[in-house]
Amino acid sequence: MTASTEAAPAIDVRASTATRRKVVDSLFKLFLWVSLGIALGTLLTLLIDLISEGRSRLNFDLIMNMPSARPQRAGIQSAIFGSLWVVGTTAAISIPTGVGAAIYLEEFARKDRWYNRLIELNIQNLASVPSVVYGILGLAFIARGFLSLGFTVMTAALILTLVVLPTVVIASREALRAVPNSLRYGSLALGATEWETVYRQVLPAAVPGIATGTILSTSRALGESAPLLLVGALTFVTFNPDGFDSPYTVLPLAIFRFISEARVEFRPLAAAASVVLLFLLLGMNALAIFVRNRYEKKLR
Amino acid sequence: MTEIRSRFHKELSDLEQTLLTVADQAEQMVALAVDAVCVPDMDKAARVMALDQWVDRTYLDVHNRWMAVMALQQPIAGDLRMMSVLLHLNTTLERMGDQCVNIAKLAQVTFGLPRSERIVAQIREMGDLVRPMIRTGVEALVRRDLEQARLLPAMDEPVDRLNRNMYKEVVDCGPDPAILEWATRMMMVSRALERIGDQVVDIAEQTAFLLTGEMVEFNEEAVPGQTEHDG
Amino acid sequence: MKAEDYAPARTEQAPPAIRVEAPGAKSDTEPSDDAEIVFDVVGLSVYYRDFQAVRDITIPVRQKEITALIGPSGCGKSTILRCFNRMNDLIEEARIEGSVNFHGIDIYEEDVDPVELRRRVGMVFQKPNPFPKSIYDNVAFGPRVGGFKVNMDDLVEESLTRAALWDEVKDKLSESALALSGGQQQRLCIARAIATSPDVVLMDEPCSALDPIATLRIEELMQELKEDYTILIVTHNMQQAARVSDRTAFLTVDVNEVGQRTGYLVEFDTTNRIFTSPARPETEAYITGRFG
Repeated sequence: MTASTEAAPAIDVRASTATRRKVVDSLFKLFLWVSLGIALGTLLTLLIDLISEGRSRLNFDLIMNMPSARPQRAGIQSAIFGSLWVVGTTAAISIPTGVGAAIYLEEFARKDRWYNRLIELNIQNLASVPSVVYGILGLAFIARGFLSLGFTVMTAALILTLVVLPTVVIASREALRAVPNSLRYGSLALGATEWETVYRQVLPAAVPGIATGTILSTSRALGESAPLLLVGALTFVTFNPDGFDSPYTVLPLAIFRFISEARVEFRPLAAAASVVLLFLLLGMNALAIFVRNRYEKKLR
Repeated sequence: MTEIRSRFHKELSDLEQTLLTVADQAEQMVALAVDAVCVPDMDKAARVMALDQWVDRTYLDVHNRWMAVMALQQPIAGDLRMMSVLLHLNTTLERMGDQCVNIAKLAQVTFGLPRSERIVAQIREMGDLVRPMIRTGVEALVRRDLEQARLLPAMDEPVDRLNRNMYKEVVDCGPDPAILEWATRMMMVSRALERIGDQVVDIAEQTAFLLTGEMVEFNEEAVPGQTEHDG
Repeated sequence: MKAEDYAPARTEQAPPAIRVEAPGAKSDTEPSDDAEIVFDVVGLSVYYRDFQAVRDITIPVRQKEITALIGPSGCGKSTILRCFNRMNDLIEEARIEGSVNFHGIDIYEEDVDPVELRRRVGMVFQKPNPFPKSIYDNVAFGPRVGGFKVNMDDLVEESLTRAALWDEVKDKLSESALALSGGQQQRLCIARAIATSPDVVLMDEPCSALDPIATLRIEELMQELKEDYTILIVTHNMQQAARVSDRTAFLTVDVNEVGQRTGYLVEFDTTNRIFTSPARPETEAYITGRFG
């Protein structure tokens, strides 16, 4: 057999000829970095602005003092305690309810039943309802009307529960869904009942996801102001709540009050209070991430 | 590393054990057949026939078990070579049994005829040469001893020589038709014993295949220990 | 040892019996037809809504034997396997016809408790699925939910020993099961399944996710387990079925006019018979690779 007369092109994997593609590639990466820079930059600017404005009032007095007409003596102790009471109660109500609903929907509900599909459809809708609407609802049926609880911590908690519950349910469902079916089958094949499987296998495996979701939902409750305004969260309160039936104020509203004051001395107070609020929010988010990382390591 | 095909390997070694039992019986059959001819002893001739029936049944049984191992266990490498050896061994031993039966039948047919003691002595000598060959060949397989296997061609030589010589002895028997009839039959006995010797050399070749992976014919010209495998 | 010194056993009496066992050998190549039937499947068909996935399966599964189901993919082997412990109940659209009798009782009858059934009929899955818990807790889970009043430490040790895993994990029982290798995880799943003292262990392609050595180790383990448990194995690896099982069922698919695939039983016989001279040409064609 004669050798071919045409030499095959040499294979050279070094410098590529497609430089235009490389340029596009680099540009794309540059674009991503710039976007990130803008987002972070904005956040950072805000933070720095707040801190510099509120720096003069960021001290223990802020936290220890009650609100006062005199700016030098005003503090946010009542707001902090108010927030703790309200958010704490909200968590205590929404977490068991939300997780329980998620367990029912994911593990026990027959997907072909019409009422389950209805619930399915509406939870997503409920999560995107503006929180003010819940405020109105609360005013009509919780503060007055059917429950008539008045303008109390419990009212606030119930309303905020309505606000965050859909999110808790959705996050918990995601967490439960993320548990592989092989786990359920393995458990059932050993002679465990459905409830035993959920309680002893699925739920423990879903805890990181659920914890993350609930912490994030709760932190949202911390920042709500509109619905609470509608149900009479007072803005000038000089006492801490002493029960579920007590009046109260919350941190976002305290900030609102400081801003609405005509006297310009209250501005730094508002900034300082905002920093405190941000600090709390960031803290909760960090907690969520920490919990998730801790548990993910265990499962690996 | 622990054994992970124990059932398979046990079945393999069981097959080998069975065939060793058959080989043992084969050696005994040679002794009985030679006695049947040389003494002569018709009881021993009958015993040879009975033993051969057992050999034949065992042959079928080993074949079936061999098929099962082949189909179910996918032997490879040394195990596959062993399967080849076992198959060959099974057939060869069955043929050895048939040769012994031939000898026994010849003993029965020539009973009462006049004999030549020279020829009788030669037959006996051939028998006494073949039986140690069987023992050596089997042991070489059992011990996986290549050197021992290579002894077999040399041990076969005198048997072949005696067989070639038998023609002269028959001619020397003289014109008496009765003795001639006996003598020509004895030539067939000698032929049968020579065949048994060759079959034992076959077994040794199989052993060499098992140990080296190469199928080499042992022929009389090759000096044992100086095949192409040697250094 | 010289040739003359080799003195084999001399028997001057009658020759040995017909069926030659070599000295000390057990005749275990052919399973006995007298063994008790543990699972009697009669005319089993499985439907997903209106689609018939599997039709008219009749297989007797005998005590302390390994029975294999082989066949091309889609012939319903795993579907059939899941009928034995009613795991098909978990699939909403699935329903069955025919009967699956376990020690004489049809397990699809009204008053049969699937939870109790699953304690007695264990299952090992294709991909090892240990729980994200410690090795100890994995093995102890079945007995715990089953309310076993035993010394749990002993039971865990015994189960792990029977699954040929004890020596490798005895010093790290409290460590996560997920840290084990694939083969070890599967043996853990086997230990977990036998911890509830089942009668029958179902194995759904237990080795298909494992490397060859791990596979052979589990096959070896199955031979030991056979002494105490009845095993039913689905495998797409024919050679594995040949090596491991006593009886084999060959199933294949029937494709109807609309392209739906229904599995049916072609042949069920001792493994030896199936792999040396099967009765049906379809079996021969599949096994020798002349399929399609």
